[in-house]
Amino acid sequence: MLLEIENLVARYGRITALNGISLTVGEGEIVTLIGANGAGKTTTLRAISGLVRPASGSIRFDGREIDRLAPSEIVRAGIGHAPEGRHVFPRMTVRENLELGAYTRRVRSEIADETARVLDIFPRLKERYAQKAGTMSGGEQQMLAIGRAMMSRPRLLLLDEPSLGLSPKLVQTIFVVIREINARGTTILLIEQNARQALAVASRGYVLEVGSIAHSGAASSLAASEAVRAAYLGGAA
Amino acid sequence: MDVFFQQLINGLSLGGIYALIALGYTMVYGIIELINFAHGDVYTLGTFFSLAILTLLGVDSVVHGPALIGVLAVTILGAMILCGLTGVIIERLAYRRLRNAPKLAPLITAIGMSFILENLMLYWRGPSPVPFPQVIPNPQFALGAVTIQAKQIIVVLLAVVLMVVLQTFVYNTRLGKAMRATAQDKDAAQLMGIDINTTIALTFLIGSALAGAAGFVSGMYYGSTWFFNGFGAGLKAFTAAVLGGIGNLAGAMLGGFLIGLIEAMTTQFISDQWSNVVVFSVLVLVLIFRPSGLLGESLPNKV
Ligand SMILES: Nc1ncnc2c1ncn2[C@@H]1O[C@H](COP(=O)(O)OP(=O)(O)OP(=O)(O)O)[C@@H](O)[C@H]1O
Ligand SMILES: [Mg+2]
Repeated sequence: MLLEIENLVARYGRITALNGISLTVGEGEIVTLIGANGAGKTTTLRAISGLVRPASGSIRFDGREIDRLAPSEIVRAGIGHAPEGRHVFPRMTVRENLELGAYTRRVRSEIADETARVLDIFPRLKERYAQKAGTMSGGEQQMLAIGRAMMSRPRLLLLDEPSLGLSPKLVQTIFVVIREINARGTTILLIEQNARQALAVASRGYVLEVGSIAHSGAASSLAASEAVRAAYLGGAA
Repeated sequence: MDVFFQQLINGLSLGGIYALIALGYTMVYGIIELINFAHGDVYTLGTFFSLAILTLLGVDSVVHGPALIGVLAVTILGAMILCGLTGVIIERLAYRRLRNAPKLAPLITAIGMSFILENLMLYWRGPSPVPFPQVIPNPQFALGAVTIQAKQIIVVLLAVVLMVVLQTFVYNTRLGKAMRATAQDKDAAQLMGIDINTTIALTFLIGSALAGAAGFVSGMYYGSTWFFNGFGAGLKAFTAAVLGGIGNLAGAMLGGFLIGLIEAMTTQFISDQWSNVVVFSVLVLVLIFRPSGLLGESLPNKV
């Protein structure tokens, strides 16, 4: 397994956000984590990236314990993260944002290749190359956040609600892109409000309910499960 | 008219010192949103460090020729390094652990840090003004009725050179970009692989080193200092940073020179006692019409 999380507990002060969750992501997979607002999805990704310190439990990446590493070391280990709410650098241009995405990399030619790949996937970013990220539309910022996370050439890409607030057409584009990135060899852990589409693109899924995993399994069986359909897929399909 | 040009020269020299100090305020505010009240005291410390280095070198009067360049280089660099380290230590000991605390906690701590530095300097060099030796020959150049002193040229030149170096560093190097990224979004910076503890320490190092350079310059310019010197100068420099747009490097420089000019002109054409009133009135007026300062960017919030 590329990523193995065991009995992860995370707290914010007295609030327990994750109450001992376990999940795995295999090399080359797309795995989705779905759940209601406040279930702990974002906290899970932030714990993987080292932005939240687990209270207990373990996180292993490629066989190595990463739960005590600094966020910057976790990036170097091969994990990219497009966070919830985009978090692009507002007073920097698209170009500078992408350069920062490649902060851990030194070989100029590789960085240039990766930039070309990102601009190929998101032609809109090419048009906006010299624009300050803070002045771009929400959808454009989302593309930049994903593109920026790709720039470190991660083995595992964490995507936190990449389709949030986008027009239906752009949502389709994002899901196509997720497949494309995965087809190029990047493993993906995807959080989505849009559970139906997330389960369509993923091979496996986990359903998080108030800090615990309530259901898990093949994406197709989750999509077919009565309980999941009732709670997350808006009833009958 | 001659008086005006004379005050223009004087104001620019004064402004060069303010600008160097203002850069430290603006850099620290830009990266951790802290008004570092201790910064003015680091500047005074820079004057005392310079004095100590000159004493160590056995220099107590005017130096000529190549030896002068050597003395200046060693003293300025020495003061910059010592002040830079002081800044790093202050951040490490006092501010780092309060990074996620409510804003008031680090602010109060900064005021406390300022008291500590002032009292250390009081203990070290006593309560009265301490003379600073004239190490540079100070020929004067006459332009009509206006005289320019060599030390005024040095002040402005040093300020401008350091600012150009700083600007180049921040905008064109990898570490400079990491600093800007940390200032704009700490979580995102960490997700890029940036070690924000390092970039924040670096910010304190550079900002405090610039205060160290200002400290040397001020000793040379005024010929003395005392432990409480940083209070007033710090306040003016902080005003300069806000005037220019806090967090903005070019703004701090512009603000510093403007405050120096306003002060020199007010002293000449109105009265000494009015200079603070005028400086702060200008600040209030500017903030009414441009709340983010002269060069401050106001970007729309994230969509
Ligand atoms: N910084 C914080 N301080 C205190 N509590 C927090 C913090 N961040 C999250 N929480 C709490 O932790 C719980 C899990 O939050 P999290 O953001 O992980 O949920 P989520 O599943 O991503 O929700 P959403 O779908 O709304 O994004 C929530 O109850 C939330 O209120
Ligand atoms: Mg979330």
